[in-house]
Amino acid sequence: MAPPAERTDAQVVRDVLAGDRDAYRLLVRRYGDALHAHALRMVGSQDVAADLAQEAFVTGYRKLGSLRAPERVGAWLFRILANVVRDHLRRTRRRHISLHVLPEIPAPQRGPDEDTVDADVRTRVRQALAKLTPEQQEAFVLKHVEGRSYEEIAAVMDLSVAALKMRVHRAREALQGLLKEFA
Amino acid sequence: MKDEDVRRYLDGETEMDAMDDQARSEARSWDRLLAAFRAETPGAPAPPWLENRVMARIEALPEPGLARRAWSWLLRPRPLRLSPATLGLAAAAVVALVLLPGRRGPAPTGDAGGAAATVVYVQFDLRAPDARSVAVGGDFDEWQGSYPLEDPDGDGIWTGRVPVKPGLYAYMFLVNGSKWVTDPEAAHHTDDGFGNRNAVLAVTAPAT
Repeated sequence: MAPPAERTDAQVVRDVLAGDRDAYRLLVRRYGDALHAHALRMVGSQDVAADLAQEAFVTGYRKLGSLRAPERVGAWLFRILANVVRDHLRRTRRRHISLHVLPEIPAPQRGPDEDTVDADVRTRVRQALAKLTPEQQEAFVLKHVEGRSYEEIAAVMDLSVAALKMRVHRAREALQGLLKEFA
Repeated sequence: MKDEDVRRYLDGETEMDAMDDQARSEARSWDRLLAAFRAETPGAPAPPWLENRVMARIEALPEPGLARRAWSWLLRPRPLRLSPATLGLAAAAVVALVLLPGRRGPAPTGDAGGAAATVVYVQFDLRAPDARSVAVGGDFDEWQGSYPLEDPDGDGIWTGRVPVKPGLYAYMFLVNGSKWVTDPEAAHHTDDGFGNRNAVLAVTAPAT
């Protein structure tokens, strides 16, 4: 058997399905940061993001037998996470419609461009993002925050590229309406 | 035209230099706004404890073995070919199993156990001729949309059975993997707080 670091994703999936459940640890190591980062961008809380990433990995383990393309397990796990996050947003926004209470967001590392953004704008940016539908927020974050291609996002969200572009456009329109004096 | 140019710029289909001054000005505003979004929604590496917590939860799960593989095999979607006559008989059987006369929405179709372990198989149906995929999700699967429905004969009626324990559940259909759709045939609905309606499913344990 190849050393853990050299095992391909497909080999790891096969090993886990064959009963070596500890091999799943390799997938958590390989994709934990990416899943956590996306969840954090969507929910704004490190604790919640970690919980959602954890949920996605456990769900992934449970459903591993249904994975058709083991070599694409990373994208598959990301898609599971996206569903988990979407569901979380639906449930929490249902309970907390008031947007006056915003999620805790860690202090970001500022670049030269961001230095010009004042605190008031930052607050309104966060509020505006939280007012999008979970689907719009997800499409917007994947495109304009994470910088993913439309083709990649379409695969995550199971949409056509045309439909996805329209969703991102609608998200931008909504944000523009919410932040009229800024955009 | 300006709006279209800006839209194409934001979608990465054209360059700033190719636009007129007005569109360029708006594009710059968008660049600044998007920079604010990037600054305010930073990602971060997973906490060190994530790996161990995931593995601890996995280790607490039942040992995967023959039973799990058999269960996975049973739940795996596969084409189901039925003649019209067989389908009619199956439909009649389903109707006969409906607990309440005249009820609409998904129907419990059987029992896979007894006492506390009772699981009722609920039949879900959705007419969605243009859908590429349909699944059902709700409180019973943490809104994962993890139970795929099938339309093996291509008539636009997607159907599938889901094992659930007795209880009260909100649910919706997940069309094409992203669009949540209310069950128009459900007997009861509840507001989800966003102007949408969740269907409500009440599952009771079969009388013994």
